[in-house]
Amino acid sequence: MRKIFFLLIALALVAAVSCNRSGTKNSKKLTIAVIPKGTSHEFWKSIHAGAIKAARELSSPGAEVEVIWKGPLREDDREQQIQVVEGFASQGVSGMVLAPLDNRALVRPVEEAKNAGVPTVIIDSALASQSIVSFVATDNRKGGMLGADRLGELLGGKGKVILLRYAEGSASTEEREAGFLQEMKQKFPNVELISTDQYAGATRDTAKRASENLLNRFGDDVQGIFCPNESTTAGMLSALQDIGKAGKVLFVGFDTSQMFVDAMRAKQLHGIVVQNPFNMGYLGVRTLVESLKGKPVEKRIDTGVTVITPDNLDAKEMQALLHPPLDEYLK
Amino acid sequence: MVAETKADWFRPSAGLARTWLNRLAPFLGLILVIVIFAILIGAPEKYLSLKNLRTVLAQTVIVAIGAIGMTVIIISGGIDLSVGSAIALTGVITALGINAGWSTSLAVSVGILVGGFVGVVNGLAITRMRVVPFIATLGMLGVARGVAKGIAGSQTVNMPETWANDLLLTIPKQSWMLVAPGVWIAIVLAVVAAVVLRRTVFGRRVFALGSNEAAARACGIATNRLKIYIYALAGLLFGLAGVMQMSRLRQGDPTVAAGLELDIIAAVVIGGGSLSGGEGSILGSMIGALIMAFLRNGCQQVGWPNYIQEIIIGALIVFAVAIDRWRHSRMAIA
Repeated sequence: MRKIFFLLIALALVAAVSCNRSGTKNSKKLTIAVIPKGTSHEFWKSIHAGAIKAARELSSPGAEVEVIWKGPLREDDREQQIQVVEGFASQGVSGMVLAPLDNRALVRPVEEAKNAGVPTVIIDSALASQSIVSFVATDNRKGGMLGADRLGELLGGKGKVILLRYAEGSASTEEREAGFLQEMKQKFPNVELISTDQYAGATRDTAKRASENLLNRFGDDVQGIFCPNESTTAGMLSALQDIGKAGKVLFVGFDTSQMFVDAMRAKQLHGIVVQNPFNMGYLGVRTLVESLKGKPVEKRIDTGVTVITPDNLDAKEMQALLHPPLDEYLK
Repeated sequence: MVAETKADWFRPSAGLARTWLNRLAPFLGLILVIVIFAILIGAPEKYLSLKNLRTVLAQTVIVAIGAIGMTVIIISGGIDLSVGSAIALTGVITALGINAGWSTSLAVSVGILVGGFVGVVNGLAITRMRVVPFIATLGMLGVARGVAKGIAGSQTVNMPETWANDLLLTIPKQSWMLVAPGVWIAIVLAVVAAVVLRRTVFGRRVFALGSNEAAARACGIATNRLKIYIYALAGLLFGLAGVMQMSRLRQGDPTVAAGLELDIIAAVVIGGGSLSGGEGSILGSMIGALIMAFLRNGCQQVGWPNYIQEIIIGALIVFAVAIDRWRHSRMAIA
């Protein structure tokens, strides 16, 4: 038994030494940790690609910029994301680009990291802290308002509408939901909001279940639907397709995926509000590196928001938003 | 086989070396993990720096406190799947209490007691309604999570700054503490629990219950009442884990710790606990929790993606149990 243990240790050591890849560290090299909310949504892959684009552009011989990409182990689990932030802080990376899962829960680790000399740029969702380099994100309220404009116009200013919310405590989607509701009530007072208090949860799967429940209850009345992010839009879309209602209800979603493009061509989805995650990842890393090099940076940077409809789908600038060059950067 | 392990506690002379080797096995595993990662990272002084150790220890506290309670339950032949939900529920209740203007100590006590209450309900379902622990606590997993979301209004509960927020600061405010206050609390609880399990009548009864319930009952142990005590006691610990979770997040989050029960059970199993009852040790479970925390921290610092981490931890659980079985079969032959 003791022999086996020593054998194991010896094996492990050999394995460890043979794949030890971190050589001597160049003092000028910048290591940037990019921490998304999760890693499976296509949205985060675009951010990853943008971050790598920035790293490549900003690297010069002798002063490389390296991007480390690491999401929470369990998608959308705050505790797990805190652990990742703490891990990078104690590892001593040059800086972090973080999409916080919660505007409060991540404050402590980010401030502790700052005290340890690791600055953070916040992307995507706000953080309730002044101890950050910059906040680089979509104007989410405006995104929600654009969604309301599109759906209101499609409905001709009247009809029954459902808003399926994303998850509890996510600042970016709450802004979109608030923007949607505000614009709908002000600009289209004759639209009746029949359900606005249901949450879809973190994944497509939970979103689909929530959508099915909503459609069982309101399926005969509803004329318009708005969903505030990729997973809710996808869940609602497949729930509509399952019961044969896709195309019969006016539906505006948020974020992009190939599934949404196909659905728009099939006239099952009548508009999507899209952010520019590629730009967000790019500007997040770029802003952090500039700040690390001592240049002044803006405290708030807007990365843009656009409505894509079945009509403008094939325009060149829309295609660029729909298909960021992932393969070029993530291979 | 089970009886033999038990007998080891009574006969210190017989097979003492082997017993110690058995108890050391998880510890060797921990050292192995640390050594491997110190080499892989290529900067052992960073991986083993006080800064990083503080971080890892603070990250282990919630799983460790949960694992103390889970060890007692698993030794008694039971299981509790509702830990993650109980942690979310007690965290939310403590945060709501602080918001309602209660003194922080009152809010924290209420949070812990609610954990105990969840445990009592589990115990009653298992004994009075005669539902097997797996199902009873699976039900509670849903119920407690739902109640947490309901009373929190499906939102996170933010609260004003109190001392409860400092329980798991990686760098404690009083520098003489060296590590977060919560780490010390976990250590004290682990020592107390280990003594209670090994040196008290209650502890002996827990082992007896898990080894052979019918025999325990025949010996005059009120097994049903004992089970309720066990789940209640563990529940109090889960309540404390919930307070710790709230302290780390600085908010009551009804969605937090989903799936954490699996980490806690894994810690107990890696530390030598047997799901068929009668075996397990607090020290082993603590080391199990540390192994997983060091693995996570190490995988991140090496730069491995998450999926590798999940594969390693999954394989480790099976591997740890396989070694344990193998050791037992050797002991049976000897």
